[in-house]
Parts: sequence; structure tokens; C-alpha cells
Amino acid sequence: MIELNQVSKKYQSATVLKNFTLTIEDDGIYCLLGRNGAGKTTLLKSIAGYQNISSGTIRVNGHSISTATMDTGVSHIENFAKHFNLPVKKLIRVAGDLNPRFDYEFAMEMMERFELDAGKKFNRLSLGMKTMVSTIICLASNKSVVLLDEPVLGFDAIMRTEFYDLLVESYSRNPRIIIVSTHIVDEIAKVMQKLIIIDKGTLRFYDTLQEIETKAYSVSGLKQEVEKATKDLHTFGEIQAGGLLTRFIFDLPISQRDHLEIEKLSLQDFFIRMVEKKGGNLS
Amino acid sequence: MKPVLTVIKRNFASNLIALVITILVVLLSTTSSDSSISISRGNYTYLYMLMIPFFIVYVNFNKLIHLNATKKDYFWGSILTYIIAAASTSMVNTFIHLIIDPMNQTQIVINLLELCGWSENGVFVAFFQQFAFLLMLAVFLHVLLSMQSYWYGWLTDAVLVAIICVFVPIQPLRQILVGFFKLIMFNGNALLHISVCLSISMVLVLVGKAVLKRRSI
Repeated sequence: MIELNQVSKKYQSATVLKNFTLTIEDDGIYCLLGRNGAGKTTLLKSIAGYQNISSGTIRVNGHSISTATMDTGVSHIENFAKHFNLPVKKLIRVAGDLNPRFDYEFAMEMMERFELDAGKKFNRLSLGMKTMVSTIICLASNKSVVLLDEPVLGFDAIMRTEFYDLLVESYSRNPRIIIVSTHIVDEIAKVMQKLIIIDKGTLRFYDTLQEIETKAYSVSGLKQEVEKATKDLHTFGEIQAGGLLTRFIFDLPISQRDHLEIEKLSLQDFFIRMVEKKGGNLS
Repeated sequence: MKPVLTVIKRNFASNLIALVITILVVLLSTTSSDSSISISRGNYTYLYMLMIPFFIVYVNFNKLIHLNATKKDYFWGSILTYIIAAASTSMVNTFIHLIIDPMNQTQIVINLLELCGWSENGVFVAFFQQFAFLLMLAVFLHVLLSMQSYWYGWLTDAVLVAIICVFVPIQPLRQILVGFFKLIMFNGNALLHISVCLSISMVLVLVGKAVLKRRSI
């Protein structure tokens, strides 16, 4: 269980996280979405105890988390993480020796499945392969919370598909909280249970994909008619062109009406509308 | 215990370059044959103790954490690395002092074991005095290097420089500085020397733990 209560993080004059409050109770694969600089990495690093927050509290499984926590129970891997320049197999063995809960068998299986050259030294691997090794080490750690920061960076389409398979297989083997931050929205949708959208350091959205599928839609048409139809609905964005208006709604669906075009929003569109300049707050 | 042993193993593996440099310096060091005094090659073994904290603090910490080592395992693994390294270095220098140095019949060979007055207490006690001093030295460097990314590290650097600059030119203060070095280094009183070095090491270990608890990744 992860509990973030009124978490703020400041770097000199810049506030990266602003009163961020979120509770993740159940095991599952969670997707953390946000634009560049939205605060995703800061959030994940703070949960991992890699850095201190300016105010608020973070608790993982009831234990307070900060840099002073000598054993957080959280496994976190950031993109471009540096490792010892050892052959992949040896590196995984070292990771296993450092962590008594490490699932060595799973790590070896994944290494073979993704055709990682066991004898090749880490620094000689391609960027995608390095990331894959880091991800395998993180997932095999078997810690109760796993945080993956931009794990598909440097992956081609095939590797990304393999990564999502790896994620699902790891979760099925050992259900726990896995948070994946990414920009590629639609691909992760196939495996995630809940979506967390962060924008400018604040929580914008935290709910299931089913909620988005049911409640997120756009209403387009003549301005007056759209305004009238969506008057009491929760609007989180709009586009106006001449006398035409499109409103983005997160609410109970309305029935089809003449002269109005009602369309379901894709996850990608929902995310874009949510974090664009005039985006609304649904949290 | 296995994670701590793995940290120790990784620390020594990463310090291989420090070991190679030290061995090269020990083997290649020379003193002019015209001089009546020769510096013992064993003194250069101290280089190893001066180099390893750099690798442990700046190279290994992040890499170990990325492999899911805990800060706790890193901390105890590093302390045990310094204990093993200090004992090994002390043993090698004691061996050089006893076996290699006497081979030079034409010059007076100066080894820190003699210079610091430790050899007056016999080989066994001298080994422990040297071990305690080297351990203190390595832990001090470890703590100092760990603080360098933070304001209190820079403050400590400034205070250390200020102490040297102010204490050296002023006679009464210089006596205090000399007294301090006599206590931690040039000390023939084995019990006092070992007690002081180990006590300072323990205090530094506690400071090091506090610094580690504030250290970001």
C-alpha cells in the first residue's frame, strides 16, 4: 500500500510536486502519465526514498519513506541507470546475491526469452537491451512496490510488446503494486489496471480505464446547443471554432441528440485534453 | 549476511585499479642510492587506503542501490570493506618492515611503523596500531567524500582548511594541532593510540550513517 499525503517537493524556487495526495491500496499495474516535466520522475524517486520531499508524508506498507529509510521495500529503476560493467548473467547473479527475495529463476527465464547475450558486458549492450536488463532486475526483485520510470524508452515496437508481456507475466507470478511511467499511452492500456495522470505536479486523474471508456466523451455542434446539452456535466476542456463548439466531458453518458456529435474519447485524447493548457481537474 | 558479503565483494572488485596502482607504486618506488636515508616501500601501501573510499562512495553506491541493495547493506558492507582493507594493508606493511626493509644494509630505511613509534611495542601491537590508524583514515575519507554533494560537506572542507590555515602559523594553536597528530599518529602508547583511533572511527561511522541517511540517489 502506498499513501501520499499532501506531498510537495521544491527545487529552490520551482515547485515540482504540489500537495500531491494519493492512496494506492490494491496490487495491480498502474500507469503514471504526464507530460515532460510534469513531476513523474520526482514522484517515483520520492516514493522510492531516493530523495526527500519538502513537505507532506509518504508511507509504503505503513512505513514512512525518506532518504533516511535504510530499507524501503521499494524497487525503482530509472532510465539510463548505471550498472557494474559485468556480463549480463553475472550482473543478474550479483543482483540476486544483494536481495534475498530476488527471483533468480524468473530473471534467467526472461534473459533467455529476450535473447539477452548472457556473456556480453553491460556497457556493450544497446540502449534498449540495457533498459531490458534493468527492468528484469527490478521486476525480479520481488519487492512489494516496483517503480519503473520510462522503461520503454529506447525500445522498438517489438521490444515494447515483449516488455508488456514481461510485465504481465511478472505480475501474474507475484501480484504487487507496479507503477510504470510512460508517454506511450495506448500500448500500456492493454495491461494496466488504473491510470494516474499528473500535470504540473498535481494529481489530475486516478481511476480505472473502464471509467474513461464509460465516462469520457466529446460533444460537438453549434455552440448554443452544445452548451445547453452539457450545462450540468463535468467539462474538462473545450475547443471553439466560429459558431461551433466541442466540449470534452467526464460524466455519465448523454443520449444521442439531433445536430450534436457525441464521440467516445480514446485514452490518448483523454490524456491530451486532460493535461493541455485549459485541462480540467477530475481528481 | 549474504547481501553484506556481496557489497564487500563488489567493493573490492571495483577497487582493483586502486590495488594495481598501489602495487606498481610500491614496486617501482626508488630512493637515491647516494642518500643515507631510504623511504620504505611499505609506506606506499597507504595509498590503497586513500584511494578506496573514492571508488566506494562515487562509483559503487548508486550501482549497488540500482541492483536493489539497501542502504543498510551498503553501510555495513563498506565498513567491513575498510576493516578488511586496513588489516590487509597493515599486514603487508608490517611484512615489508620485517622482511624487505632489513635487506637494505647500506641505508637507514624509514618505515611509518618506526617513525610513528608503533614498532616500539612489538610487531603484533604495532600491526594493531597501524590497523586502527588506517581504519580511521579510510572512514574519515568516506564520510568527507559522502558529504561533498551537500552544503555541510563544503562547510566541513572550509572548516578543515581554516583549521590548518589558522592553527599552523599561531604558536599556541600549532601546539594543539601537533598534540592532536601526536595522539592519532605519532603515539608510542599503544593502548591510548588504539583507543583514540577506534573511538574516532566509531564517531565517524555514526556521522557517516547520518550522512548516508540524508544522501539522495
